[in-house]
Amino acid sequence: MLALPLHDLPTRSSSGFLIRYILPRSTPPQLLGLTDRKVLFSTLTMGDLIIGTGHGSPSEFCGHANEVVMSTISVPDVKGKVVYLVSCETAKELGPTLVQLGALAFLGFLEDVIWICDADLTSTPWADKLAEPIMMPIVDSLNTILDGKSCGEAFQVLQDHFRDRLAVEQDEFMASLISWNLDSATLLGNTAAKVFQRPQLPPFFGLGPPPMIFPM
Amino acid sequence: MPSEEWKKLQEALGKAPTEEARKEAAEALRRHQEASGKKSSKPTLVSLGYNKDYPSAIPLDQVANEIERNPVFFEHIKKIVVKEK
Repeated sequence: MLALPLHDLPTRSSSGFLIRYILPRSTPPQLLGLTDRKVLFSTLTMGDLIIGTGHGSPSEFCGHANEVVMSTISVPDVKGKVVYLVSCETAKELGPTLVQLGALAFLGFLEDVIWICDADLTSTPWADKLAEPIMMPIVDSLNTILDGKSCGEAFQVLQDHFRDRLAVEQDEFMASLISWNLDSATLLGNTAAKVFQRPQLPPFFGLGPPPMIFPM
Repeated sequence: MPSEEWKKLQEALGKAPTEEARKEAAEALRRHQEASGKKSSKPTLVSLGYNKDYPSAIPLDQVANEIERNPVFFEHIKKIVVKEK
């Protein structure tokens, strides 16, 4: 399952990168924009992987318009699944709860996920070079999971690619944000957990980005 | 090697969030931003926090004002900036 809200600038920026690089490799259900709601999120429990971005707190994960779609007191069936949430602080309480309730592994963040994006690119957020230093390591680690590799390997990719970005970053504020997100990234549960390997994107896929998403 | 402006920002953020310290940090950030000269059209600091005491999207040129105005945001930026080695 893919949960990608688009209702404000941060969700557009993070969802935009997942729309460009992850959605074409994922299998339905894909809850995009207005459809990312609790009533759907809670009932669509097929598949071996839940990938979501959205606003979050230690115990809650939000969908469209900040509706809480998952919390420590309302968890869908996560048994045998890998859960990857690009959201603030969910690794503090929600992640451990998901693992306790049978999720194979949880990847997420202990603190705020914070980055710089270009507010002029809300219709084509995947083209935002400012957001790349934070978003592309996340995309790369998600693709590692979709390649059928272990969560431990995906987490290593996330850390390594943050460090690579940090090593070449000239702007001190941007470097501090990369370092912050690197330190906040967390893997819980079974590091050897894997999901079914998804096909690679065809070679011609890189020739064109997705169509623009509706204006905010 | 960190620039002079960056060192001054870290120093200012290292203080308790008094009105004076917040003003000093805001000034230091403005000087740092001026020196680094961002070229993108609308660079904006965003986060995926829920029910936070600061906005989830702040235009980069307004971050200094928010530091000056909001002690919670001052502390948040302090955690990010001062910890950097």
